[in-house]
Amino acid sequence: MFHSRMSDRAMLVVSAVALALGVSVSSMATAETVTITFANWAAAEGTTKPAIDKVIADFEAAHPDIRIKSEAISFSEIARQLALRVRAGNPPDVAQLAGNDTFLIAATGKLEPLGGYLDVALKAELKPDATSGLSYQGKLIALPWTLAPAGLWYDKAILQKAGLDPEKPPRTVDELMTAMAAIRKSQPDVIALAVDTTNRPFSLQSNWPWMATFGADPLGATGRADSPQMKRYLAWMRELAQNRYIDPGRKIGEFRPLAAQDKVAFVWDQVLLQGVIQSASRMTDDDFYKRWGVTVQPAGPGGKSYSFEGGHQLVMFADSKQKKAAWMFMQYLAASPSAIRDYTLGPGASLPPLVRMPSPELAKKLDTPIYQAFTSRIIPTVTTPPYGPAFAAASSAIMAGVQQAVTGTESIDQIAGSMQQQLERR
Amino acid sequence: MMQRATVRVVRDARRVPWLDPMVLPAAGALAVVVGYPVVYTLLLSLQDYDLLGTVPERFIGAANYRKLLDDPTFWQALGNTAIYTFGSVAVAALLGLALALLTESVGGHRGRLARTLLLTPWAVPFVVVAFLFRYMYLQNGGAINAALLATGVIDAPISWLNVSSLALTAVMITNIWTMTPFFFLLLAAALAGIPNEVIESARVDRARGWSLVVQIKLPFLRNALLVSSLLMIIANFNDFAKIWAMTQGGPGYATTTLVIYVYRQAFENFAIGYASAIGVVWLLLLLAFAIAYLRALRTS
Repeated sequence: MFHSRMSDRAMLVVSAVALALGVSVSSMATAETVTITFANWAAAEGTTKPAIDKVIADFEAAHPDIRIKSEAISFSEIARQLALRVRAGNPPDVAQLAGNDTFLIAATGKLEPLGGYLDVALKAELKPDATSGLSYQGKLIALPWTLAPAGLWYDKAILQKAGLDPEKPPRTVDELMTAMAAIRKSQPDVIALAVDTTNRPFSLQSNWPWMATFGADPLGATGRADSPQMKRYLAWMRELAQNRYIDPGRKIGEFRPLAAQDKVAFVWDQVLLQGVIQSASRMTDDDFYKRWGVTVQPAGPGGKSYSFEGGHQLVMFADSKQKKAAWMFMQYLAASPSAIRDYTLGPGASLPPLVRMPSPELAKKLDTPIYQAFTSRIIPTVTTPPYGPAFAAASSAIMAGVQQAVTGTESIDQIAGSMQQQLERR
Repeated sequence: MMQRATVRVVRDARRVPWLDPMVLPAAGALAVVVGYPVVYTLLLSLQDYDLLGTVPERFIGAANYRKLLDDPTFWQALGNTAIYTFGSVAVAALLGLALALLTESVGGHRGRLARTLLLTPWAVPFVVVAFLFRYMYLQNGGAINAALLATGVIDAPISWLNVSSLALTAVMITNIWTMTPFFFLLLAAALAGIPNEVIESARVDRARGWSLVVQIKLPFLRNALLVSSLLMIIANFNDFAKIWAMTQGGPGYATTTLVIYVYRQAFENFAIGYASAIGVVWLLLLLAFAIAYLRALRTS
């Protein structure tokens, strides 16, 4: 009995020691493993989720001491949620952002400036255009992940049917108007031009280059919404609607399936249009290049073409406790060959922000007429709107004015005046 | 002595305590779920509060309310809310009433089938309805334009949701389509509750058709109609999903209602203080309807 009690006690001691050792070993292991929270919409969308999951898994395999906790948040919600999380003192380590949202979150003052992290080697790898528009109050606040400028896509078959030269897309707004008139006459069921005229910040971003080519700058330091240039732009938009060249109220994404069915002649859209058309129509690459082309925006009265950068960026939050690991992950997403192959050039359907591709295989993938047009001709025309909280606040007033011009009967002078008044009230 | 004691016991039993401990848990839950947000909204409405924190929040008194008075978009949103709410409820109530009266005498399988079909729109989620109608209204490829063009009613497609003068009506039609079954259901039940004796005696007095409906049935439906209308007014005042999914408040501000305007101010402009001021006005208006509803409920 005594012996048995002793052995029980010994067993208890041994178990306790083993447990203590186990706990300390496991806590040592935990201490060595760093977890990075990554808020992104790539994991929230069906087309990109498998790709981003694979990229994360590959990164974790290459960096066994770093775990990535991916937090899926939809594209339209991410800025709001991050703003609230910053307020609550609970931001992620890294987040995917785009367009004005990047600058909205930068305005909170809670983004880590990245200038100090960007070493000479990576700086040399990145396209100069890619980082030029990503500074806020003089500090680099985001790392370019993908580039996705907008270009004027054109359906060569529709152009040919309208008696136009399919290899000579319009170079000016006047030529575009002539081409659309011919298309409308020969193919009344075809939407001549797909532009996003919804009321959301993205629409203002998308319409900004069109305003710019008319010389309008409704939010600039000296620009006004009731300037003659802005009125000219609004009058042009009204003309587009009155001639039924555009289909107002559709989001740009809603034109893409129609483009795949040859129902849209010109589409003001990003690189991803190719993927959408090909996946919907099962077109081969060669057939696609025969059917579709992309070029710079037709120049307006100012004589210059513009584009907007719709690519995605990566930001790091200043409250992150794991900045080194977070930066490693960000670099991996933006510049590693596997991330570029599996995500950026895959379902991400955009361009890597690099000067040179890290492998010949990737360089070959980018050697297409579409990618070349974007890289060599469209990217240099990118203009960055005055992003920030004022841009978000003004977007509703400006796009409401654009919608009134497109669909209403009020005079352009009245609409422009009302827009300016609203902007001044803010 | 005995009689006096009995009187005291009866009086004690009748006395309603100022605070019954039994309601404390519910009162506590309401204070957290309803009271705290309301009070906090009220406080926020008196501040210049930017969610992004670009400017430090500060107390500004009634400045947000003064700004409201000078904000034409707020007044347009208020007007749109009134048109959307009362217009939709009035038309849906009339349609529901008409359908209830028409199907009242249809019995058997046919009656059940008709009622089931009439109730279907109520069962479809609002967001699905909104997208369904949005695609039906499309200028290019929309079913409504296709039908009207095919029948020769119009000679060119109309961009229903993108013409300022048509958009609100188009959204209201969608709303009426979803709401009519609710009125139909309640009014059909109220019709079934009219005592047979009343109908029979009215018939004996040679009341038929329209006079039977107006003189006999409608007075019986009055309370059901009032209560259901008030309930729907409150629900429509808060309707966000349908309008947002269909037009996002556009074109321009043609379909911007108070709830859409609050959302834009709070989550696009991040002007939480100003959005809260609009919210307080909105809350007061809703409160008025809620009180009317409770009174109607008590009367009925």
